[in-house]
Amino acid sequence: MEAATQEALKKLFESKLNKAMRLYLDTCAHCGLCVEACHVYQAMPETKYTPVGRAEVVRKLFKRYFKMQGKIAPWLGEVIELDDKSVNMAYEAAFSCTGCRRCVTVCPFGIDTQQVMNIAKLLLIGAEKQPQILAMLSDMSIAKGETWKETANDYIAALNNLAPEVEALAPTPPGRPAIPIDVENANVLYVGLSGKHSIVPAAAILNAASENWTISHFEAVNFAAWLGDGEKQRLIAKRIIMEAERLKVKEVAVVECGTATRVLKFMTGSHPFRIVSIVELIARYIEQGRIKVKPGTISGTLTYHDPCQLGRNGGVMEEPRYIIGKLTDKFVELTPNKEANWCCGGGGGLISLGEHEFRMKTGKVKVDQMRASKADTICTACENCHTQLTELNEHYGLGMKVESLTNLVAHALTGFGA
Amino acid sequence: MSDYTVAKTLDCKGLACPMPIVRLSQEIAKIKVGEVIEMFTTDPGSLADVPSWAKSTGNAVLENKQESGVIHFFVKRQK
Repeated sequence: MEAATQEALKKLFESKLNKAMRLYLDTCAHCGLCVEACHVYQAMPETKYTPVGRAEVVRKLFKRYFKMQGKIAPWLGEVIELDDKSVNMAYEAAFSCTGCRRCVTVCPFGIDTQQVMNIAKLLLIGAEKQPQILAMLSDMSIAKGETWKETANDYIAALNNLAPEVEALAPTPPGRPAIPIDVENANVLYVGLSGKHSIVPAAAILNAASENWTISHFEAVNFAAWLGDGEKQRLIAKRIIMEAERLKVKEVAVVECGTATRVLKFMTGSHPFRIVSIVELIARYIEQGRIKVKPGTISGTLTYHDPCQLGRNGGVMEEPRYIIGKLTDKFVELTPNKEANWCCGGGGGLISLGEHEFRMKTGKVKVDQMRASKADTICTACENCHTQLTELNEHYGLGMKVESLTNLVAHALTGFGA
Repeated sequence: MSDYTVAKTLDCKGLACPMPIVRLSQEIAKIKVGEVIEMFTTDPGSLADVPSWAKSTGNAVLENKQESGVIHFFVKRQK
């Protein structure tokens, strides 16, 4: 590694050294409580796959360049040099962590390994060793913030083609399109994904609630959050924030995507509109009697996987269970669940990166939970988790149905409107 | 629909986001600069995703067409 690159990386590292980060890097007592909390370690019991093992890569660099001992006497040990080898170690640490933050809940000091991994990711970006797929997808999303007007007519035509599928689930309120777009002063701006499976069920629910809503031109997912690029993350989120401001909506409802919800809800500052998960909105509609669902549309027993970014890291844990309670009386919990739920192994950008073999191995603890539940169907409220659970189900031959919560609600709608 | 000489056909129908873009980026690397890849998707969002990907990577969407829920792209490798 060239000296100029090393200096640049040191500056990037230093830019992340706020009080909280110094606490995370200074206070680890190596008690080992986090070890057993990691789903990756559960499946692959190696030190490098423990939260503390991952953090140690960053911690040893911190000691080398930002602590007295490492600066004047690095030969005393517990430090590593900032070079190609340590950058490769940073890659393995950062992208073997899904950022589920289960380890944070057991750490006596509250050390946030996901935040520590953001330093590792920043070093990768500085060394141009970041995952190219995530960088490419982030750049695509940012470019869409500039090109969306050029492609808007094509997108609107594609949305109009979905109207029959939406209306097969719920009637469209009179005088409105099945999937409205660019509606000023709408109550709700719904932000979906690129696929119609993220649009059709939500549109039916919003129409069944007679909501004054509008769909976003943008996809909710924020690839830069997984990449660890704060500036790109901000630009991707900003497209949606600016759209909500332009349309003067009262609320932004985010598709079943844990990371997108967490970024938009907690990492974009304050706004004149609320930001909620579509799951929170659906629960509210049911509670207020704005939509009705008929129980019994799900055959057999149902269980629910708490997406880490929506549940443990987003606080949305009771709403999905409230909704499920209206859909079926044959609900069984995964054990453990809610704050303690195991990551499915698909987070942190690993789905986008492929990593099938690694994901199937590290999803083993989730598979054990699924088997133990003896449920016929597992549902969740995150696109990443849904993909991972589907692949785990096939890989391990579990024979379960994998569903999205929004889709289950859309197919149980009845007695439309108020 | 114009008559392009297609070097490769990519069927991304039914693939969830972001796989159509991931596959496109992988497959376009396998054709020569100046050649055209034909791509089929079913994601409505791909109508914005593919042009914005092309812009950010320096490639070009020559044409797209929607028919019966299937979106048909012709993308030229330019870099």
